[in-house]
Amino acid sequence: MDITFWGVRGSYPVPGAATVKYGGQTSCVEVRASSGASLIVDAGTGIRGLGQRLARAARGQPQEHHILLSHVHWDHIQGLPFFEPAYIPGTRISVYASLVAADELKPVIGGITRAEFFPMPLESVPAHFEFHEVEPGAAFCIGEFEVMPIALNHPFGAVGYRIIADRTSIAYVSDTAPFDLVLHKRHFLSGLEPLTDEDRAALDKLRADLVAALHGVDTVVYDTHFLPHEYEKFPHYGHSTPDHGLDICKASGVRSLVLYHHAPGHDDDTMDELARRYHEAGVQTGVEVVTAREGLVLTIGRGA
Amino acid sequence: MRIRFWGTRGSFAMSGRNFLRYGGNTTCVELLDNAGGRLVIDLGTGATELAKQLMKTEFGKGKGRLNVLLSHTHLDHIQGLPFFVPFFIPGNRIRILGADPSGATLEATLQNQLAPHYSPLEGLENLAADVTIDSFLPGAALELDGFHVRTLAVPHGNIWTTAFRIAADGHAIAFLSDVEYPQPEQPLPDAIELARDVDLLIHDAMHSDHEYTLRRGWGHSPIATAQRVARAAGAKRLVLFHHSPDATDAAIDAMVADAQRDSSIPVFAAAEGNYLEL
Repeated sequence: MDITFWGVRGSYPVPGAATVKYGGQTSCVEVRASSGASLIVDAGTGIRGLGQRLARAARGQPQEHHILLSHVHWDHIQGLPFFEPAYIPGTRISVYASLVAADELKPVIGGITRAEFFPMPLESVPAHFEFHEVEPGAAFCIGEFEVMPIALNHPFGAVGYRIIADRTSIAYVSDTAPFDLVLHKRHFLSGLEPLTDEDRAALDKLRADLVAALHGVDTVVYDTHFLPHEYEKFPHYGHSTPDHGLDICKASGVRSLVLYHHAPGHDDDTMDELARRYHEAGVQTGVEVVTAREGLVLTIGRGA
Repeated sequence: MRIRFWGTRGSFAMSGRNFLRYGGNTTCVELLDNAGGRLVIDLGTGATELAKQLMKTEFGKGKGRLNVLLSHTHLDHIQGLPFFVPFFIPGNRIRILGADPSGATLEATLQNQLAPHYSPLEGLENLAADVTIDSFLPGAALELDGFHVRTLAVPHGNIWTTAFRIAADGHAIAFLSDVEYPQPEQPLPDAIELARDVDLLIHDAMHSDHEYTLRRGWGHSPIATAQRVARAAGAKRLVLFHHSPDATDAAIDAMVADAQRDSSIPVFAAAEGNYLEL
C-alpha cells in the first residue's frame, strides 16, 4: 500500500519561499493498494494537485472516487470545489464523514459551494456526489479497503481512519488534541476549562479506543501541528505535538509514525530541525519517525 | 499613497517554487496614506501575511484601527479572515465593509464562514477584537479615515462584485478585480468612468487572451480587456491582477512582455510583497 502526501499543512495554505521544501497545501492524502484501487483522505487544498493527476489518468472517462473526511473544518474541505474529476460527467464521488451540526452531511459539505462562496454549486457539477455518514468504531468496506473510523478529540468532533489493504494497515489520525487537558465538545473554547470526572472518563475512553484501534497498525499519520512550547500556549486549539504522537505509538506498539498537519508558521528550517529532532527521539524509543512533505510517497508493509 | 500587494493570486493559493516571484497567496491589498491611515481590500490568504506585519504595530497591543473593503465573498477573497490575527486581540477596532451577496447579508455570509462545523472560532461573536460588519449598496460613496471611496457593482459570472475608486493624498487608484464585461471588447462605461484618470488601475487579468477563449463566462477578464479599460480611462499605470493558479512565474513574465509590446501605458503584473508609491 502506498501513501502519497498531496497536502501536509494545517489551518491554511502557506505559499512562498519558506515552504518550498515541505509544501504549503492543506491536508490531503492518497492511499493506493497494489491493485491500483485508491482512497483519498481529506480534501484540503492538496486535493487540487491530486485531482489534476487523476483527471489526466482518466482521459475524460468517468471514474469512481472515495473521499474520507476527518471533519469539515475549512483546511480539510476547501480543495473540494477544485477537484478536477468533479467536472467529468459520469464520475461518481463518494464522500464519507461523521455527522456534524446538521441533520445531513450534504448541506454542510455542499454549503462550501453556496453562491456567496463559489461560482459552481456542488449540486450542479457534472459528477455525481454521494454522502455517507460514518460512525466511530463501525468498520466498513470500500472495495478491497477495510476502513474503521476512530473518534478523536477536536472542536466539534473529528474522526481518524484505520485502513487495511494488501495485508497491511495504516491509520490517519488528524486532527486531534491529546487526551489529558481538554475534552473538546461543541462549544467555543477561549482557554482551558476545568474537567469534570465525566470529562476525564470520556478522555480516557477516547485514548483507550484509539490505542486499541492502532494496535497492530503498520504506520500512523498523526496530527503533530505544534512544537511543545507552542502547544503550551494553545492547548485548547485541538492539536498535538510529535511527543503526543510518539506517546500514542508507544502505547499501541506502532513502529512507524508520520508527522503531519504542520503549523502554517513552521518554515522549512523549522521543519528540518523538527524532523531531525524527532527522528532522533524515535530512534531512542524504537519508532521510525518520518516528517511528511508534499509529494512524499511512502510504501507501507513492503514484503508483507 | 502607498500600495502593497499581500496576495495577487485568483481562485486558489499556489505554493511551490514556480510561484515565488508573483506570489501564491490569494487576494489582499493594503493602502497607506501619508498620515499613516490604512485601508485593506479583501482578505484572501495574503491577509495572513499582512496580519503578521500588523501585529508588530499597534495591532499587537490591541490599539489598532482598520477598515477592510470586501469586493465580494468568494472564498479566495475571504479565506484569510479566520486567520487574521488582529481579530484575536481585544481592543483592536476593525470594520469590514462590503455589499450584501445576492440572497444573503454580508454578516450572515461571514457568520456562515465561521460556523461551528467549518471553523473552531464558531462564530463572529468569538473574535476578541471589536469587529463591525457594515453592508453598503454598490454605488455608495464612503469616507474611511482619509480615504475617499467610490463603489460600483460590476458583473462577475453569475454574481456581482464591487469595484472601488480610492483617493487619498491627491492620488487615486481603481480596483477592478473579478470582473468580466458582457463584451470583453467593450468594457462597461461605468467601469471606465470609475477608473477615469487614475494614477494606478488594478484590473482583473486572470487569463491570457488565448486562455480567455476557453474560459469565457467564468467571470474573469483577459489581459486585452484590462488594457482596453486602462486606455479608455486614461489610467497612468496598469497593474495586471488576480493571476490564474495555473500561471507560473515564467508564464506571467511572458504575458507581461506581450502586454508591454503593444501598450502606450506602463503595464506590469502585481507581485506579492511589492510596494508601489504614488
